Amino acid sequence: MAADLAEIERMIEAALPGASVAVADETGTGDHLRATVSAPQFEGLPRIAQHRLVKAAVKERFDDGTIHALSVKTELPG
Amino acid sequence: MSVADAELKQKIEELIAANPVLLFMKGTPEAPRCGFSMRVVQVLDSLDVEYGAIDVLPVLQPLREVTAEISDWQTFPQLYVNGELLGGADIVEEMFDSGELAEALGAEQPETVAPAAAAPPAQSPPLQIE
Repeated sequence: MAADLAEIERMIEAALPGASVAVADETGTGDHLRATVSAPQFEGLPRIAQHRLVKAAVKERFDDGTIHALSVKTELPG
Repeated sequence: MSVADAELKQKIEELIAANPVLLFMKGTPEAPRCGFSMRVVQVLDSLDVEYGAIDVLPVLQPLREVTAEISDWQTFPQLYVNGELLGGADIVEEMFDSGELAEALGAEQPETVAPAAAAPPAQSPPLQIE
C-alpha cells in the first residue's frame, strides 16, 4: 500500500517539533520516499544522528512495510 | 543474541577499530552489487583514500542485526571513519559535495566533477530495495 505522504510528514513533525518537512514520492510507487527536513533539534548533531531522528520518527511505517526506502536530506533552519 | 552473532559482533567491532576507513557494502569495490554501494566506492576512489571493504551479502541478515546494535543503523552501505559510522550513500555524497568528507578523511578534494557526473556504467546497477 502506498504511503500517505502527508501522514509521513506529520509523523516527522510530531517527533521534531518546530521542524519543516517535505516528503516526496521518489519513484511514483509510494514506497520509496524522500524527506527533506529542517529542524532546530539537528543543531550540533552529526548528519548520521540527524538521519536517525528522522528515520526513528517513521519507524512504524517501515516496520509495517508501507515504506521500503526513505532518502533523507537534513538542514539546519536558516 | 546467539553465540554466533555475539562472535560476529566482536569480529565486526575489531574490524571497525582496526580500519580507519571501512566500508560495508554490497559486492566488492571492483564489482559493486548495488547502486548505493557503487556511489560510495566512486566517492572514495575519487578522493584516492585507502579503505577496507567488506561484502555484506554473504551474511546480510546477521550483519544487519549486528550493525543495528553497534551503530543503530541497518541498511548498507555503511562507511565508518575512525571507528564511527559516518553514514550511508546519502550522507557520504552530501559530505563529499560540501568538502566535509575530504576533510574528515584528510584527503584532497578533487577539482574534477563529482562522480555522479562521471561516465555512467555500461550496465545499470541492480535495483536496490531497501
